[in-house]
Amino acid sequence: MAQFKQWALQYVLSDDQSAQLEITQKAAKEIENSRASSTVVGNWAASVHQWMASANSNDDDDQMDDGDDGGSGDIISRAKGSAWLIAALHLALDFLAGTLEALDRTVLRPDQVLRLIGFFGAMFSYDHKAGITASAKALRQLYSMKSFKPDMGIKIFEDVCKIKEDFRLQTAITRLEIYELFLSLVQDPAVSSELLHKYGASCGFAVDLLQLCSNERDPRNLMIWFKIIKILLNEYSPSAEVTEELFKIYSAYFPISLRSSATPIGITADDLKNVLRGCFSAHQRVAPFAFPFLMQKLDQGDAIKAAVKVDILKTIQECIEKYENPQVSVVPYIEKIWASLKYEVRNGEVKETIDATLEVLRAIARKLDGSKTQKLDASLLKDYIDLVFRDCRDDLSNPTYTKQAGLLLMTVITASVRGYVLYNANFIETIRQNLRQPKSPSHTRDLFLLLNSILKTRIDLIKNRKDGHPDDEDQLKGETTSHLDSLFNHVYLPVWTGKVNEPGSEEKDVLKQVAQGLALLVRQRVLDQDGETSLLCPATVCSEICSLFTVTLTRGLTLSSNDNPTHATALEDEVVLALRTIVMNYTDGFTEFVGAAKAGITKRDWSNPSSYSLGALKDLLSRVVFIGCSEIPSKVKTDAPLRQPYSPLQHYITSIATLLDLFPLSPSPSTANSHILSSFHASILWFDDACEAKFKKDTLAKYSTSEKNWDGEYIGLPEDWVQQLARGDLSIDEAIGALEENEPEVYRQYLRLSLFAVRHLYRSAAERLAPWPEEALAQLAQTAALVVRSLDDKLQTSCNLAHHAFDYFDAPESTSKDPVLGLLTVGILQGLRPGAMTGLYKPQGVAERFLCNTSELGLSSRISDIRAAIGIILSNKYKGGANTGDPESSTLTRILRFWSDWIKSSVASSEVNPDTFRALNNVAMHMIAGAVARQDRAAVELISILHEAAASSHINGEIFARSVGILVQPNELLTSENHAVVKRFYKQWAYGQLAKPLYELARPSGEDNAESRARYSVMILSIVRNCPFTVYQDDLEPLIRLLVTALSNSSAGGKLSEEVAYSQAISALEILVEILANEADALKGYLREIIGGATKAYQESAPKHTLTETVKPVTRTVCRKLALQVLGVLPKTFEERYILTYVPQTQRMLALACGDPVRRVREAARLARANWTSVA
Amino acid sequence: MVEIQNANPTVLDVSQLPSRSRKSATVRSGPDSKCDSILYPKRPWLSSTSSSSDEEDEYEEEPVDEQDIYDLIATISDPEHPTTLGQLSVVRLPDIHLAPPPTERLGPNSLVTVAVELTPTVNHCSLATVIGLAVRCRLEQTLPPNYRVDVTMKDGSHAQDDQVNKQLGDKERVAAALENDTLRKMLDDMLKTCSM
Repeated sequence: MAQFKQWALQYVLSDDQSAQLEITQKAAKEIENSRASSTVVGNWAASVHQWMASANSNDDDDQMDDGDDGGSGDIISRAKGSAWLIAALHLALDFLAGTLEALDRTVLRPDQVLRLIGFFGAMFSYDHKAGITASAKALRQLYSMKSFKPDMGIKIFEDVCKIKEDFRLQTAITRLEIYELFLSLVQDPAVSSELLHKYGASCGFAVDLLQLCSNERDPRNLMIWFKIIKILLNEYSPSAEVTEELFKIYSAYFPISLRSSATPIGITADDLKNVLRGCFSAHQRVAPFAFPFLMQKLDQGDAIKAAVKVDILKTIQECIEKYENPQVSVVPYIEKIWASLKYEVRNGEVKETIDATLEVLRAIARKLDGSKTQKLDASLLKDYIDLVFRDCRDDLSNPTYTKQAGLLLMTVITASVRGYVLYNANFIETIRQNLRQPKSPSHTRDLFLLLNSILKTRIDLIKNRKDGHPDDEDQLKGETTSHLDSLFNHVYLPVWTGKVNEPGSEEKDVLKQVAQGLALLVRQRVLDQDGETSLLCPATVCSEICSLFTVTLTRGLTLSSNDNPTHATALEDEVVLALRTIVMNYTDGFTEFVGAAKAGITKRDWSNPSSYSLGALKDLLSRVVFIGCSEIPSKVKTDAPLRQPYSPLQHYITSIATLLDLFPLSPSPSTANSHILSSFHASILWFDDACEAKFKKDTLAKYSTSEKNWDGEYIGLPEDWVQQLARGDLSIDEAIGALEENEPEVYRQYLRLSLFAVRHLYRSAAERLAPWPEEALAQLAQTAALVVRSLDDKLQTSCNLAHHAFDYFDAPESTSKDPVLGLLTVGILQGLRPGAMTGLYKPQGVAERFLCNTSELGLSSRISDIRAAIGIILSNKYKGGANTGDPESSTLTRILRFWSDWIKSSVASSEVNPDTFRALNNVAMHMIAGAVARQDRAAVELISILHEAAASSHINGEIFARSVGILVQPNELLTSENHAVVKRFYKQWAYGQLAKPLYELARPSGEDNAESRARYSVMILSIVRNCPFTVYQDDLEPLIRLLVTALSNSSAGGKLSEEVAYSQAISALEILVEILANEADALKGYLREIIGGATKAYQESAPKHTLTETVKPVTRTVCRKLALQVLGVLPKTFEERYILTYVPQTQRMLALACGDPVRRVREAARLARANWTSVA
Repeated sequence: MVEIQNANPTVLDVSQLPSRSRKSATVRSGPDSKCDSILYPKRPWLSSTSSSSDEEDEYEEEPVDEQDIYDLIATISDPEHPTTLGQLSVVRLPDIHLAPPPTERLGPNSLVTVAVELTPTVNHCSLATVIGLAVRCRLEQTLPPNYRVDVTMKDGSHAQDDQVNKQLGDKERVAAALENDTLRKMLDDMLKTCSM
């Protein structure tokens, strides 16, 4: 006894929660150890009497009759005031509750639990109401005891409800505790059956609860209170009166909102809305109250905000969806709901409200149709749709309301298969009647929009036919389609032919809808009795639609630029999309379209086309390949057998066969020829995208372990294999296998066909270069890269692609091996994986012979670029070692040594003229760049040679120094997509090896070695310029000094040529822009030099109009613009005090710069000027 | 609140305003044009030296012309409405004159006169002077020193155009006006919408 009293006292006096927890645990242990002997439990409970009695005596209340020490005069209690006493009593009860929490659930016996419930329940009847929280908490603990009996729940209800009006005086936390208690009780099935047994439908306890809780305002408490109400409504079958009482209570909160509070409580307004909505939709017995109430709220008109309206509508929707027995719960209210809701759509302006309204109407239609398992009587749905139809039919003829009325009708008709089958013919007929007498073009457009929507919905219904009730599918099978069959001839075709020739902008909108509609029409399928689908439109109609669209798309080619001046292609674009949809379903359509396009193209003479014709050709070809290749066609049954048997690759084959047939359009290198190659590339890009979308990229990697040797197969095939397949001379199924549209093999066979086409074009270019403009070769090379890239190591190797890059697929020996064919080599090499290239690196093999060749001394800069590209790939993807062509791993080292030797000897040799040096050096630097990107050890050996070469005082020295940046320049060939080997930090590595050691040597000091210093500086800047800021940020100090020198004396006192001086100045300015953006503080000490340098750079790069000019005008312009950019950033970056001194001179200079002859520079000048003006 | 001078002016859409039509041909926009940048590249493939023709076009020498002046001042905000002077047709391209015309200009230091005639939205607009001042300020801030700016009201467009023109032409009065803090702030607000 004394022990418990002591603990209770400790608990009351303690402020520390963990200490309190420990005490309760000790007490619980004690009770458990005694196996809950009555004495121990009695003592434990009595431990709080000391405060209770005092509190009661203080309150002048009845004493507890069984208290042993009641009012014995505890010293401490007497010493304190009554407020303290009540607080202490609260804590003491908390001690008991805490003990219960810690107590083993099985220890207490039923009689003890009952006694304790009585004890704590009594607390709710005392006037002082101390310890309500603790008591509620204790009651919840008792509820969870094993010996808790359902009838005890009733006692708790009765006891707690005795608190009556005082409930609302409790703190929110206390109330929360009580709500939680109630919730646990009402959702306990045992307690609820006991409550039902005792009170029945009158739910007396619920009425008591309502009185207790009716004024709740705390959001957290409301969340639970609403949950309790929902359970009461749902599971306690309250009588109509009680239901109404309950309804009154919660509906008073509707629409609910939440004031924003500074202390977030973790509950949002939406949470409250949802839980309150749950009360409305809890049970259909609420329907007679809920619907009238909600409708009345909705009919307040403009007095309510859109958000509230949406809340009401969502609530109505949820009620409709959740209520069972719709004949009784929903049907009686439909007319009222419809009457209120139609205006929300008809005259509504807010999208959210309109959408929510339509959802309600759709929910009604679905409810009346029945569920997935049980259909309701058809008359319910019919009556409803009739109601809507009656009200909306007339609106369809009124252009102002056509869209809205159609939307309403569409919503109720298409909500269920049954509604659709019953009413779509009717609806379409009404639209047709209106289309016969349209009020305006926009009216026609809206009507078509509706017609199209219903066609679209039909497609979805047929597609999802298995998801619903089994009757749905049967209904669709039995659907009559005569009204759809006549749509083309009677509705779409007359409008199209009537408007297509002279369309104004409004007519174009109509035509766009017609185009969409025709595509939807061709997509329609009918469901056969065996469950299969076939095209609704006969092949003749499909074919006619295709020819309509073909005329539109090929017209551009036949008109002249004067007849077709508009650049607006919106209608054509729509037709392109529509035709694509059509040919994916009606596959013969594509052959027809391509045939017409091809005939249109070949009819013309392409030897000297106008730019208009070229544009028209480009448009047409681009559309042809988009229509045929951007999707994989579907296999659909048609009424007549197709001319071309189905294959997922048939359109792709037709497209590339047509392009191969058309090439060359002109025997001379014409842009028209390039357009064909571009379209060839496009067809592969589109089909690749389509395959990737359908099969995902990794599909290919997963199964392409094929050992097949396509290269060998190709040799046995006729040159016009693809064309023969397209014409049907050879069977596609035999050539590539009978494939279905979902088979991933489609992806691989597409690559096989593409590689064949690429091979064909490579050979043809190598054999006779005449019709090939350079851009066509470049295009073909990139197409090859695209195809080759997708093949795996094995295929690339088995097809011997590495060698074919150089022999152009064993092309017949041509009269001249033009070096420009190197572009084709780059194409294949670019896509190869390193593992498939090892054969090239045999000692004295292809790579070595090709790379160690300086014979073409007359290299043009273009040829040099091509050779450089080959070089960078070969050195980057080099792989030596066991099982490769170069087991000693020595080839690359040898090649690099060859070039370093060449650099060493030519950089200072006057025998190599600067142009030749520039061209070959470009090749050399790219080759080294490939090795640098993968941090090859062979590249390290070159560093000292590169440093030495840069120091050369010969003119070649500065050309060389300037070119070193190539080593770290971004290069499109060095990407992971191209299977290049690029180390993540190679730029840091290259900078550390190449640039860093030179800072000391480049530092300006006296006149000695001025030339080599100038060249070192050029070299450093050319590297730094191509590196990200983080690479050089540790060396800002020496770098900035270098930048300042480069700007103030860009030609290094005449030691550098003008061209190199400019390039250096531009590099310096670019680096400055970087530093200013990243770590401007480092420049603080150099502002005078920077401002002076930038000003000088601007002034010195003023445009010159002399014939002897060696620097391109654009270089000067870039320099001026950068200088102004640097100047302009300064006032925004530094505090005024740093730049104040320079204001007058800079402003003067910038004012003059505002008159620069180049517009872009003027813009930069104005910006800079405004920034400097804002400096006070 | 000061009484609004013209509560309901005609406002043009930005796309209707005169602008420099780009030289490059129309860009295709259809669904089939997605890969155009790959298929019809601007610069030759693998080219390291030559800059693209677009870049060179962009950096071509083009002297300051009427459209440039228009672009500078058309974006000034109206003091009354949240629209620009261009949209309200207060500033109009045909009412901007350069002398000598851009084609005949000799050197960077030759004197050029920019004459801008403004058309107030209503002919009793008391804000005409403020608008004129803003145009003047803007041009003086953005044109090089060899440009002389002359801002006037178009003949007959304003009830007191003589008065207004006189004020705008008087250097000292302009300078004095700019000393006025309220006016200065108003001008700054009007010029806020001008991009460079």
